[in-house]
Amino acid sequence: MAQLYERYSSIVYAVALRVLGDTGAAEDVLQEVFLQLWRNPQAYDEGRGSLPAWLAVITRNRAIDLLRKRKPDANIEDVVVYCDPNVFGKAEWSGALDKIRRSLSGMPAQQRTALEMAYFEGLTHMEIAAKTGDPLGTIKTRIRSGLSTLRKAFNP
Amino acid sequence: MSEHDQIIENLPLYALGELQGEDRLALDRHLDGCTDCRNELEKVRGDLAMLAFSVSGPEPPLRSRQRLMDAIAKEPRHLGRNAQSAPTRRNWWRVLELAAAAAAVAFVLFAVRENKNLEREIASVQAESANQQQQLLQANELLTSLTSTEAEHFTLVAAKSPPQPQGKAIYVRRNGTLVFLASNMAPLPEQKIYELWLIPKTGAPIPVGLFKPNASGSATIVKPQIPAGVEAKTFAITIEPREGSPAPTTQPIMAAAPQA
Repeated sequence: MAQLYERYSSIVYAVALRVLGDTGAAEDVLQEVFLQLWRNPQAYDEGRGSLPAWLAVITRNRAIDLLRKRKPDANIEDVVVYCDPNVFGKAEWSGALDKIRRSLSGMPAQQRTALEMAYFEGLTHMEIAAKTGDPLGTIKTRIRSGLSTLRKAFNP
Repeated sequence: MSEHDQIIENLPLYALGELQGEDRLALDRHLDGCTDCRNELEKVRGDLAMLAFSVSGPEPPLRSRQRLMDAIAKEPRHLGRNAQSAPTRRNWWRVLELAAAAAAVAFVLFAVRENKNLEREIASVQAESANQQQQLLQANELLTSLTSTEAEHFTLVAAKSPPQPQGKAIYVRRNGTLVFLASNMAPLPEQKIYELWLIPKTGAPIPVGLFKPNASGSATIVKPQIPAGVEAKTFAITIEPREGSPAPTTQPIMAAAPQA
Protein backbone atom coordinates (compact mmCIF):
# COMPACT_ATOMS: atom_id res chain seq x y z
CA MET A 1 0.00 0.00 0.00
CA ALA A 2 2.93 2.31 0.74
CA GLN A 3 4.12 1.92 -2.84
CA LEU A 4 0.66 2.53 -4.25
CA TYR A 5 0.42 5.62 -2.11
CA GLU A 6 3.82 6.92 -3.29
CA ARG A 7 2.77 6.38 -6.89
CA TYR A 8 -0.78 7.68 -6.93
CA SER A 9 -1.36 9.94 -3.93
CA SER A 10 -0.39 13.01 -5.99
CA ILE A 11 -3.15 12.54 -8.55
CA VAL A 12 -5.75 11.60 -5.93
CA TYR A 13 -4.90 14.63 -3.81
CA ALA A 14 -4.73 16.96 -6.82
CA VAL A 15 -8.18 15.90 -8.07
CA ALA A 16 -9.73 16.18 -4.61
CA LEU A 17 -8.15 19.60 -4.07
CA ARG A 18 -9.27 20.81 -7.50
CA VAL A 19 -12.87 19.85 -6.71
CA LEU A 20 -13.03 20.87 -3.07
CA GLY A 21 -10.59 23.78 -2.98
CA ASP A 22 -9.74 22.97 0.62
CA THR A 23 -6.59 21.15 1.68
CA GLY A 24 -8.12 19.58 4.79
CA ALA A 25 -11.10 18.18 2.90
CA ALA A 26 -8.77 16.98 0.12
CA GLU A 27 -6.65 15.14 2.69
CA ASP A 28 -9.80 13.47 4.04
CA VAL A 29 -10.74 12.27 0.56
CA LEU A 30 -7.18 11.05 -0.05
CA GLN A 31 -7.38 9.04 3.17
CA GLU A 32 -10.82 7.69 2.37
CA VAL A 33 -9.96 6.59 -1.18
CA PHE A 34 -6.83 4.68 -0.16
CA LEU A 35 -8.55 3.11 2.84
CA GLN A 36 -11.36 1.95 0.56
CA LEU A 37 -8.79 0.39 -1.74
CA TRP A 38 -7.11 -1.30 1.22
CA ARG A 39 -10.37 -2.65 2.61
CA ASN A 40 -11.86 -3.64 -0.69
CA PRO A 41 -9.09 -4.20 -3.26
CA GLN A 42 -11.30 -6.42 -5.42
CA ALA A 43 -13.37 -3.31 -6.21
CA TYR A 44 -10.73 -2.38 -8.78
CA ASP A 45 -10.79 -4.59 -11.84
CA GLU A 46 -7.30 -4.66 -13.27
CA GLY A 47 -8.56 -6.19 -16.49
CA ARG A 48 -10.67 -3.13 -17.31
CA GLY A 49 -8.16 -0.33 -17.21
CA SER A 50 -5.46 1.40 -15.31
CA LEU A 51 -5.44 1.88 -11.55
CA PRO A 52 -4.74 5.63 -11.74
CA ALA A 53 -7.76 6.12 -14.00
CA TRP A 54 -9.98 4.21 -11.59
CA LEU A 55 -8.60 6.11 -8.62
CA ALA A 56 -9.15 9.43 -10.41
CA VAL A 57 -12.80 8.60 -11.11
CA ILE A 58 -13.48 7.32 -7.59
CA THR A 59 -11.78 10.40 -6.12
CA ARG A 60 -13.69 12.86 -8.27
CA ASN A 61 -17.01 11.19 -7.49
CA ARG A 62 -16.36 11.15 -3.75
CA ALA A 63 -15.19 14.77 -3.76
CA ILE A 64 -18.29 15.85 -5.68
CA ASP A 65 -20.48 13.96 -3.21
CA LEU A 66 -18.81 15.89 -0.40
CA LEU A 67 -19.12 19.18 -2.28
CA ARG A 68 -22.81 18.63 -2.84
CA LYS A 69 -23.26 17.18 0.64
CA ARG A 70 -24.51 13.89 -0.77
CA LYS A 71 -24.03 10.41 0.54
CA PRO A 72 -21.58 8.36 -1.54
CA ASP A 73 -23.41 7.62 -4.76
CA ALA A 74 -22.58 4.01 -5.47
CA ASN A 75 -20.51 1.08 -4.41
CA ILE A 76 -17.06 1.53 -5.81
CA GLU A 77 -17.25 -2.04 -7.13
CA ASP A 78 -19.87 -0.82 -9.59
CA VAL A 79 -17.54 1.77 -11.07
CA VAL A 80 -15.69 0.16 -13.94
CA VAL A 81 -13.39 2.49 -15.87
CA TYR A 82 -12.05 1.45 -19.22
CA CYS A 83 -8.71 2.90 -20.17
CA ASP A 84 -6.14 1.42 -22.45
CA PRO A 85 -3.63 0.14 -19.86
CA ASN A 86 -0.78 0.95 -22.23
CA VAL A 87 -1.70 4.61 -22.33
CA PHE A 88 -1.05 4.99 -18.64
CA GLY A 89 1.91 2.69 -18.25
CA LYS A 90 4.86 4.08 -16.36
CA ALA A 91 6.82 4.78 -19.53
CA GLU A 92 3.92 6.53 -21.28
CA TRP A 93 2.67 8.52 -18.31
CA SER A 94 4.42 11.77 -19.02
CA GLY A 95 3.54 11.70 -22.73
CA ALA A 96 -0.10 10.90 -21.91
CA LEU A 97 -0.37 13.90 -19.60
CA ASP A 98 1.01 16.15 -22.33
CA LYS A 99 -1.54 14.79 -24.79
CA ILE A 100 -4.42 15.41 -22.41
CA ARG A 101 -3.35 18.95 -21.63
CA ARG A 102 -2.76 19.74 -25.31
CA SER A 103 -6.17 18.31 -26.14
CA LEU A 104 -7.85 20.46 -23.50
CA SER A 105 -6.02 23.63 -24.47
CA GLY A 106 -6.95 23.00 -28.11
CA MET A 107 -10.68 22.86 -27.34
CA PRO A 108 -12.93 25.87 -27.85
CA ALA A 109 -13.00 27.77 -24.55
CA GLN A 110 -16.75 27.32 -24.07
CA GLN A 111 -16.48 23.58 -24.58
CA ARG A 112 -13.64 23.25 -22.09
CA THR A 113 -15.42 25.45 -19.57
CA ALA A 114 -18.63 23.40 -19.76
CA LEU A 115 -16.66 20.20 -19.31
CA GLU A 116 -14.73 21.54 -16.34
CA MET A 117 -17.84 22.99 -14.68
CA ALA A 118 -19.60 19.62 -14.94
CA TYR A 119 -16.62 17.56 -13.88
CA PHE A 120 -14.78 19.61 -11.29
CA GLU A 121 -17.59 21.75 -9.91
CA GLY A 122 -20.25 19.06 -10.08
CA LEU A 123 -22.71 21.42 -11.75
CA THR A 124 -25.66 19.90 -13.59
CA HIS A 125 -26.27 20.74 -17.22
CA MET A 126 -29.17 22.92 -16.15
CA GLU A 127 -27.01 24.79 -13.65
CA ILE A 128 -24.34 25.33 -16.29
CA ALA A 129 -26.95 26.55 -18.75
CA ALA A 130 -28.33 28.97 -16.15
CA LYS A 131 -24.85 30.20 -15.30
CA THR A 132 -23.66 30.70 -18.86
CA GLY A 133 -26.98 31.75 -20.38
CA ASP A 134 -26.60 29.10 -23.10
CA PRO A 135 -29.38 26.64 -24.09
CA LEU A 136 -29.43 23.30 -22.30
CA GLY A 137 -28.97 21.36 -25.53
CA THR A 138 -25.86 23.38 -26.32
CA ILE A 139 -24.33 22.53 -22.95
CA LYS A 140 -25.00 18.82 -23.47
CA THR A 141 -23.42 18.96 -26.90
CA ARG A 142 -20.37 20.80 -25.61
CA ILE A 143 -19.78 18.21 -22.91
CA ARG A 144 -20.21 15.28 -25.27
CA SER A 145 -17.96 16.89 -27.86
CA GLY A 146 -15.35 17.68 -25.22
CA LEU A 147 -15.23 14.08 -24.07
CA SER A 148 -15.05 12.92 -27.65
CA THR A 149 -12.09 15.23 -28.26
CA LEU A 150 -10.28 13.80 -25.26
CA ARG A 151 -10.88 10.26 -26.50
CA LYS A 152 -9.59 11.12 -29.94
CA ALA A 153 -6.33 12.36 -28.43
CA PHE A 154 -5.47 8.69 -27.86
CA ASN A 155 -7.42 7.15 -30.73
CA PRO A 156 -6.97 9.59 -33.61
CA MET B 1 -34.17 8.88 -31.90
CA SER B 2 -34.24 5.25 -30.70
CA GLU B 3 -34.17 4.37 -27.01
CA HIS B 4 -30.67 3.03 -27.52
CA ASP B 5 -29.47 6.34 -29.03
CA GLN B 6 -31.12 8.23 -26.19
CA ILE B 7 -29.28 6.05 -23.67
CA ILE B 8 -25.94 6.60 -25.39
CA GLU B 9 -26.57 10.33 -25.33
CA ASN B 10 -27.23 10.25 -21.62
CA LEU B 11 -24.18 8.19 -20.68
CA PRO B 12 -21.99 11.26 -19.94
CA LEU B 13 -24.72 12.57 -17.62
CA TYR B 14 -24.86 9.19 -15.92
CA ALA B 15 -21.09 8.97 -15.55
CA LEU B 16 -21.01 12.48 -14.11
CA GLY B 17 -23.56 11.42 -11.48
CA GLU B 18 -26.11 13.87 -12.76
CA LEU B 19 -28.93 11.51 -13.74
CA GLN B 20 -31.40 10.96 -10.94
CA GLY B 21 -34.81 9.45 -10.37
CA GLU B 22 -36.66 7.63 -13.12
CA ASP B 23 -34.11 8.60 -15.80
CA ARG B 24 -31.39 6.92 -13.82
CA LEU B 25 -33.45 3.82 -13.09
CA ALA B 26 -34.33 3.51 -16.77
CA LEU B 27 -30.68 3.75 -17.74
CA ASP B 28 -29.72 1.23 -15.05
CA ARG B 29 -32.29 -1.19 -16.47
CA HIS B 30 -30.99 -0.69 -19.98
CA LEU B 31 -27.38 -1.19 -18.87
CA ASP B 32 -28.30 -4.49 -17.22
CA GLY B 33 -29.18 -5.92 -20.59
CA CYS B 34 -26.94 -4.03 -23.02
CA THR B 35 -23.28 -4.94 -23.17
CA ASP B 36 -22.55 -2.28 -25.80
CA CYS B 37 -23.84 0.49 -23.57
CA ARG B 38 -22.00 -0.86 -20.53
CA ASN B 39 -18.78 -0.87 -22.54
CA GLU B 40 -19.44 2.65 -23.75
CA LEU B 41 -20.13 3.82 -20.19
CA GLU B 42 -16.79 2.40 -19.08
CA LYS B 43 -15.10 4.27 -21.93
CA VAL B 44 -16.87 7.51 -20.99
CA ARG B 45 -15.55 7.08 -17.46
CA GLY B 46 -12.11 6.58 -18.98
CA ASP B 47 -12.52 9.86 -20.89
CA LEU B 48 -13.48 11.58 -17.65
CA ALA B 49 -10.44 10.09 -15.94
CA MET B 50 -8.29 11.81 -18.55
CA LEU B 51 -9.91 15.08 -17.58
CA ALA B 52 -8.92 14.37 -14.00
CA PHE B 53 -5.33 13.81 -15.10
CA SER B 54 -5.20 17.32 -16.51
CA VAL B 55 -5.06 18.62 -12.95
CA SER B 56 -1.77 19.48 -11.35
CA GLY B 57 -1.24 20.79 -7.88
CA PRO B 58 0.83 20.53 -4.73
CA GLU B 59 1.88 17.18 -3.32
CA PRO B 60 -0.17 15.94 -0.38
CA PRO B 61 1.35 16.87 2.97
CA LEU B 62 3.68 14.30 4.54
CA ARG B 63 1.31 13.83 7.47
CA SER B 64 -1.28 12.32 5.10
CA ARG B 65 0.92 9.32 4.42
CA GLN B 66 1.48 8.67 8.12
CA ARG B 67 -2.23 9.14 8.81
CA LEU B 68 -3.09 6.49 6.22
CA MET B 69 -0.50 4.03 7.49
CA ASP B 70 -1.70 4.54 11.08
CA ALA B 71 -5.28 3.90 10.00
CA ILE B 72 -4.30 0.74 8.12
CA ALA B 73 -2.35 -0.51 11.15
CA LYS B 74 -5.50 -0.12 13.26
CA GLU B 75 -7.68 -2.08 10.86
CA PRO B 76 -8.58 -5.29 12.68
CA ARG B 77 -11.06 -6.63 10.19
CA HIS B 78 -8.65 -8.24 7.74
CA LEU B 79 -7.39 -10.69 10.31
CA GLY B 80 -10.84 -11.25 11.73
CA ARG B 81 -12.50 -11.70 8.40
CA ASN B 82 -9.94 -13.96 6.85
CA ALA B 83 -8.98 -16.20 9.72
CA GLN B 84 -11.68 -18.84 9.91
CA SER B 85 -9.93 -22.12 10.42
CA ALA B 86 -10.58 -23.28 13.98
CA PRO B 87 -11.30 -26.98 14.16
CA THR B 88 -14.42 -28.05 16.04
CA ARG B 89 -13.14 -29.71 19.15
CA ARG B 90 -13.13 -29.11 22.87
CA ASN B 91 -9.46 -29.66 23.51
CA TRP B 92 -8.65 -25.97 23.62
CA TRP B 93 -4.99 -26.33 24.54
CA ARG B 94 -4.46 -28.48 21.47
CA VAL B 95 -6.35 -25.85 19.53
CA LEU B 96 -4.03 -23.20 20.94
CA GLU B 97 -1.02 -25.01 19.57
CA LEU B 98 -2.68 -25.22 16.20
CA ALA B 99 -3.75 -21.58 16.40
CA ALA B 100 -0.22 -20.46 17.11
CA ALA B 101 1.00 -22.38 14.08
CA ALA B 102 -1.90 -21.05 12.02
CA ALA B 103 -1.04 -17.52 13.11
CA ALA B 104 2.34 -17.71 11.43
CA VAL B 105 0.67 -18.88 8.23
CA ALA B 106 -2.04 -16.24 8.55
CA PHE B 107 0.48 -13.46 8.77
CA VAL B 108 2.22 -14.62 5.60
CA LEU B 109 -1.12 -14.96 3.83
CA PHE B 110 -2.00 -11.52 5.09
CA ALA B 111 1.00 -10.15 3.17
CA VAL B 112 -0.30 -11.51 -0.10
CA ARG B 113 -4.05 -10.87 0.36
CA GLU B 114 -6.73 -12.82 -1.43
CA ASN B 115 -7.70 -10.31 -4.02
CA LYS B 116 -6.87 -11.38 -7.54
CA ASN B 117 -7.16 -8.02 -9.22
CA LEU B 118 -4.58 -6.27 -7.09
CA GLU B 119 -2.62 -9.39 -6.34
CA ARG B 120 0.49 -8.35 -8.19
CA GLU B 121 0.62 -4.81 -6.87
CA ILE B 122 -0.29 -5.63 -3.29
CA ALA B 123 1.94 -8.70 -3.19
CA SER B 124 4.92 -6.73 -4.40
CA VAL B 125 4.33 -4.19 -1.64
CA GLN B 126 3.72 -6.62 1.16
CA ALA B 127 6.23 -9.24 0.21
CA GLU B 128 9.07 -6.92 1.20
CA SER B 129 11.57 -8.84 3.24
CA ALA B 130 11.45 -6.37 6.13
CA ASN B 131 7.73 -6.83 6.38
CA GLN B 132 8.08 -10.60 6.45
CA GLN B 133 10.65 -10.34 9.19
CA GLN B 134 8.20 -8.25 11.19
CA GLN B 135 5.48 -10.86 10.72
CA LEU B 136 7.73 -13.67 11.92
CA LEU B 137 8.59 -11.65 14.99
CA GLN B 138 4.89 -11.13 15.66
CA ALA B 139 4.20 -14.85 15.29
CA ASN B 140 6.97 -15.65 17.77
CA GLU B 141 5.63 -13.05 20.18
CA LEU B 142 2.18 -14.56 19.87
CA LEU B 143 3.45 -18.04 20.64
CA THR B 144 5.26 -16.74 23.74
CA SER B 145 2.11 -14.95 24.91
CA LEU B 146 -0.11 -17.98 24.45
CA THR B 147 2.11 -20.15 26.60
CA SER B 148 2.57 -17.43 29.23
CA THR B 149 1.29 -17.97 32.77
CA GLU B 150 -0.19 -14.45 32.58
CA ALA B 151 -2.73 -15.47 29.91
CA GLU B 152 -6.34 -15.01 31.10
CA HIS B 153 -9.01 -17.33 29.66
CA PHE B 154 -12.57 -16.31 28.77
CA THR B 155 -15.27 -18.79 27.77
CA LEU B 156 -18.32 -17.28 26.06
CA VAL B 157 -21.48 -19.39 26.27
CA ALA B 158 -24.91 -18.81 24.71
CA ALA B 159 -28.39 -19.96 25.70
CA LYS B 160 -29.03 -23.71 26.19
CA SER B 161 -30.07 -24.63 22.71
CA PRO B 162 -28.14 -27.32 20.90
CA PRO B 163 -25.76 -27.08 19.16
CA GLN B 164 -24.37 -24.70 21.72
CA PRO B 165 -22.20 -21.89 20.37
CA GLN B 166 -19.00 -21.36 22.27
CA GLY B 167 -16.30 -18.73 22.17
CA LYS B 168 -12.93 -18.87 23.87
CA ALA B 169 -10.87 -15.71 24.30
CA ILE B 170 -7.30 -15.92 25.55
CA TYR B 171 -6.12 -12.46 26.42
CA VAL B 172 -2.84 -11.05 27.71
CA ARG B 173 -3.52 -7.58 29.03
CA ARG B 174 0.11 -6.51 29.31
CA ASN B 175 0.72 -6.50 25.57
CA GLY B 176 -2.87 -6.54 24.27
CA THR B 177 -2.51 -10.00 22.74
CA LEU B 178 -5.71 -11.91 22.04
CA VAL B 179 -6.59 -15.20 20.41
CA PHE B 180 -10.30 -15.87 19.98
CA LEU B 181 -11.72 -19.22 18.94
CA ALA B 182 -15.39 -19.83 18.28
CA SER B 183 -17.31 -22.99 17.50
CA ASN B 184 -20.89 -24.02 16.70
CA MET B 185 -21.72 -20.49 15.64
CA ALA B 186 -24.92 -20.10 13.68
CA PRO B 187 -24.56 -18.91 10.07
CA LEU B 188 -25.54 -15.31 9.40
CA PRO B 189 -27.33 -13.60 6.53
CA GLU B 190 -25.07 -12.00 3.92
CA GLN B 191 -25.59 -8.50 5.28
CA LYS B 192 -24.70 -9.42 8.88
CA ILE B 193 -21.47 -10.26 10.67
CA TYR B 194 -20.39 -11.20 14.18
CA GLU B 195 -18.35 -8.56 15.99
CA LEU B 196 -16.23 -9.31 19.05
CA TRP B 197 -15.91 -6.62 21.73
CA LEU B 198 -13.60 -6.10 24.64
CA ILE B 199 -15.63 -4.46 27.42
CA PRO B 200 -13.08 -2.68 29.59
CA LYS B 201 -13.46 -2.09 33.32
CA THR B 202 -13.90 1.56 32.45
CA GLY B 203 -14.75 3.19 29.15
CA ALA B 204 -16.56 2.25 25.97
CA PRO B 205 -16.49 -1.21 24.34
CA ILE B 206 -13.47 -1.71 22.10
CA PRO B 207 -14.16 -3.39 18.72
CA VAL B 208 -11.81 -6.36 18.47
CA GLY B 209 -12.68 -7.91 15.13
CA LEU B 210 -15.31 -9.18 12.73
CA PHE B 211 -15.89 -12.79 11.84
CA LYS B 212 -18.16 -15.09 9.96
CA PRO B 213 -18.09 -18.77 10.88
CA ASN B 214 -16.98 -21.30 8.31
CA ALA B 215 -19.18 -24.18 7.15
CA SER B 216 -18.66 -26.04 10.41
CA GLY B 217 -19.53 -23.00 12.51
CA SER B 218 -15.96 -22.21 13.56
CA ALA B 219 -13.99 -18.98 13.39
CA THR B 220 -10.86 -17.42 14.87
CA ILE B 221 -9.52 -13.95 15.42
CA VAL B 222 -5.79 -13.94 15.93
CA LYS B 223 -3.91 -11.04 17.46
CA PRO B 224 -6.10 -8.10 16.45
CA GLN B 225 -5.08 -4.54 17.25
CA ILE B 226 -5.85 -3.98 20.93
CA PRO B 227 -4.12 -1.28 22.96
CA ALA B 228 -1.78 -2.77 25.56
CA GLY B 229 -2.77 -2.63 29.21
CA VAL B 230 -6.58 -2.54 28.87
CA GLU B 231 -8.19 -4.47 31.73
CA ALA B 232 -11.06 -6.56 30.34
CA LYS B 233 -14.26 -6.84 32.33
CA THR B 234 -15.84 -9.08 29.72
CA PHE B 235 -15.64 -10.09 26.12
CA ALA B 236 -18.90 -10.01 24.18
CA ILE B 237 -20.23 -10.82 20.72
CA THR B 238 -22.92 -8.87 18.88
CA ILE B 239 -24.43 -9.21 15.42
CA GLU B 240 -23.70 -6.14 13.33
CA PRO B 241 -24.10 -4.91 9.74
CA ARG B 242 -21.55 -6.63 7.50
CA GLU B 243 -19.10 -3.73 7.53
CA GLY B 244 -19.00 -3.85 11.34
CA SER B 245 -19.77 -1.06 13.79
CA PRO B 246 -17.56 1.25 15.84
CA ALA B 247 -19.91 0.68 18.83
CA PRO B 248 -22.36 -2.19 19.49
CA THR B 249 -25.75 -1.63 17.90
CA THR B 250 -27.41 -4.79 19.24
CA GLN B 251 -27.50 -6.63 22.54
CA PRO B 252 -24.69 -9.16 23.03
CA ILE B 253 -25.61 -12.70 22.09
CA MET B 254 -22.60 -14.11 23.96
CA ALA B 255 -20.46 -12.70 26.74
CA ALA B 256 -18.02 -13.82 29.38
CA ALA B 257 -15.97 -12.46 32.26
CA PRO B 258 -12.49 -13.88 32.92
CA GLN B 259 -12.38 -17.23 34.64
CA ALA B 260 -10.94 -17.25 38.14
